[in-house]
Amino acid sequence: MGEVYGWTGKILRVDLSRRKITTIDTMKYVPELIGGVGVAAMIAWEEIGPEVGPFDPENRLMIMVGPLTGTLASGAGRVEVLGVAPQQHPPCFSRSGMGGHWGPELKYAGFDGIIIQGRADKPVYLWVNDGDAEILSADDIWGLGTYATAKALRAVHGDKVRVVSCGPAGENLSRIAIIQTETENAAGQGGFGGVMGSKNLKAIAVRGTGGVKIAKPEEFLEICLKQNRDLMGPNSPKWPSEKVLSGPNFRRHKCGFCSTICTNTIYMDIQGEVFPTLYTTEQMCYVYKTTSHNAQIEVRVITSNYGINGWEVSYGIIPWLQLCKQHGLIKEIDGMEIPAPEKPIEYLRDCAPTPPEFLIMLLRKIAYREGPIGDALSDGACYAAEKLFGGKGKRLLDRIYPRHCGQVAHWSGHWGPGGSAYWPWWLPPVLQWCMDTRDPASDTTHSWTSHVQWYLPKSGPHKGPFPLEKVRAVSEKVYGDPNVCDPSIEYDPPEARAIPAIWHTDRGMVVDSLILCDYEHPRVFSMFSEDGSADTALMAKLFSACTGVDMSEDEMQKAGERIFNLLRAIDIRNYGRCRRIDERAIDVGFHYPGKDDGVVLDREKFLRLMDKYYELRGWNKENGWPTRKKLEELGLKRIADELEKIGRLG
Amino acid sequence: MSNAIGAIKVSRSGVINFDERKCLECRECEVACSLYHEKECNPSLSRIQIIFDDFIPRFPSAEICMQCDWPSCYYTCLSLHKEPAIYIDEKTGARVIDENKCVGCGACASACPLMPEKTVIKHKKVDGRRVYFKCDLCKDRENGPICVEVCPSKALTFIPAEQRKR
Repeated sequence: MGEVYGWTGKILRVDLSRRKITTIDTMKYVPELIGGVGVAAMIAWEEIGPEVGPFDPENRLMIMVGPLTGTLASGAGRVEVLGVAPQQHPPCFSRSGMGGHWGPELKYAGFDGIIIQGRADKPVYLWVNDGDAEILSADDIWGLGTYATAKALRAVHGDKVRVVSCGPAGENLSRIAIIQTETENAAGQGGFGGVMGSKNLKAIAVRGTGGVKIAKPEEFLEICLKQNRDLMGPNSPKWPSEKVLSGPNFRRHKCGFCSTICTNTIYMDIQGEVFPTLYTTEQMCYVYKTTSHNAQIEVRVITSNYGINGWEVSYGIIPWLQLCKQHGLIKEIDGMEIPAPEKPIEYLRDCAPTPPEFLIMLLRKIAYREGPIGDALSDGACYAAEKLFGGKGKRLLDRIYPRHCGQVAHWSGHWGPGGSAYWPWWLPPVLQWCMDTRDPASDTTHSWTSHVQWYLPKSGPHKGPFPLEKVRAVSEKVYGDPNVCDPSIEYDPPEARAIPAIWHTDRGMVVDSLILCDYEHPRVFSMFSEDGSADTALMAKLFSACTGVDMSEDEMQKAGERIFNLLRAIDIRNYGRCRRIDERAIDVGFHYPGKDDGVVLDREKFLRLMDKYYELRGWNKENGWPTRKKLEELGLKRIADELEKIGRLG
Repeated sequence: MSNAIGAIKVSRSGVINFDERKCLECRECEVACSLYHEKECNPSLSRIQIIFDDFIPRFPSAEICMQCDWPSCYYTCLSLHKEPAIYIDEKTGARVIDENKCVGCGACASACPLMPEKTVIKHKKVDGRRVYFKCDLCKDRENGPICVEVCPSKALTFIPAEQRKR
């Protein structure tokens, strides 16, 4: 084998039961599967059977980076975490991502990922240091919060180490426990903190002083200098920005290895205030609806320190508790009244603010599974609804959780979190919700909802900068169909809505495998080009110059399709995924008027969109299973053979 | 003594300025620097390093050569070696280490007024040989220092010699 560029060529495999550390050759899986999610999906196909539950030793916790991680490609600080996810209801193989500095550090330490299997007989942590790895005792740090864990490991291994850990929530096998870095970036969805806890693995500390070798350095540098400068919609900040982003009491901080101006706030010493001494960053994504800004910051610190998925608490559990109160199922917890508005809750925005003291009490109960309520809520609202109130709270999940999948409806024109998505632009995201194993919005939908939508001439009350002819021309160029971005088209022709759902999903798989940031890639429109289209070949160019393996834009898209088909095959083989389950999302979750426009989805017409989706995917539209023809075209013949054996080939 | 230092007039250099209030700690400068100079993305081989700690609520700082008016690295190299490795770039004024001439003695790093608190002169192995390296203001690059060009928040700026404050 010649010199390897981009990848390090090695994936670390850690068997905690046998205390054995080995490596896997990355090059067995690439370039076909790129890296990151692609490689992890193939390893999961080979190693995780249907019988493996999330907390079983046989589950694999895969923490992956990709060929572009730690390079100058913007968004190269990210990590993907995969495994059988306990938060998913029912559990299935899924994924979650996070930014920060940990991923590049792992790459500089010489690894393309870590696969953790088995269960240690007592608490341990993993120390990865420049090509070496050791399993060490976590006796002194078990029980600590995520901040204290990171600090303790920095005290032992030096302040340049990067740490991911699970907090008390993960140790107590909460299904909504997160994996948290010292910079407060986290793999929030999926409950992978609980998977760490189930393996008796408290933390992974990493230090690397190596680098990522680049096959064509001059070319790569040039591409990076020209990379997309449009962050999101046309009015979002561009880089470089002249704006001073800090203030007297705060400074801005962002994920590492990225050029876009999407930042978090770090509050600095302010005498007489409590929160600045808690070294919190104010993350972009979730907020608590509570009484004051200071409370907001303090409660978020507590959430991160316990290692709890604050998104699920704020947008799922609390609204569900308020609904339960409105329906007379519960009034108070520990003598503290559950707040609820007088008007029936229809959307997230209708919920009442929650007092900070209630949030603090609730978070403690979740982290430590305190009492029957804490024990139930520690598993997220979908599991809690089965245990509490004799199951009477189950139907109250309907508007919050599409097909009660364990994750809150997001960026899909319905329930609440995410921004506005107007009719008919929420149709592709709803299609993505039907097909995926996770909330697709923080993964593959952003590039549609928070990018494409804002360039269009009409998006609800919003008017984008580009006239109809221009968006139709760009749409033709990028998607091969001018109708995709035409606001006058609703359900017909169906490909106008199915094409973008597929395109953004497959591109998203490429992003998750390279690994870049779904907030930045892919781009369809640009304010910097004459015809208004973005350089959609950007990822292929970055990949080719970095690794020295030439891949065209079409081949890259194909790789994304290959990876999504592989994930679908795992879902089909292990968990019986089929069209009937896909459809449940429209019967439960997207069955009520859109939050921004009041439009109700037409079930019959939507089913035709699904038909078109399966057809364009090369999947059987009766059962939603990939056909042999499609799988073989993608080089996945052995997957087709295995699916055929169990009678689940489309 | 191989060279007569008294007779050498050193011209002023341009310098890279760092505004701590604008820095977002993304470390694009580090990977860009190592990519341009070393053909790989590797912060350990970067001539600039951003120092920050999320557990300490302060602004970040940057470790990068200040291109001194009286460059002790240069004088030291000149006085110790018959064929000194450090020279003054004519265009930018940068104090530059010629990697082919560096014998790896480390006297420049010991002489630097910023070292060892700030690691601005580092060493690496080239074909098994120890070689020192530091910021050269990307002297041969048409658009100036690469770190300045990639900085998304303009925390880094290049100040040419003639604009540098006395």
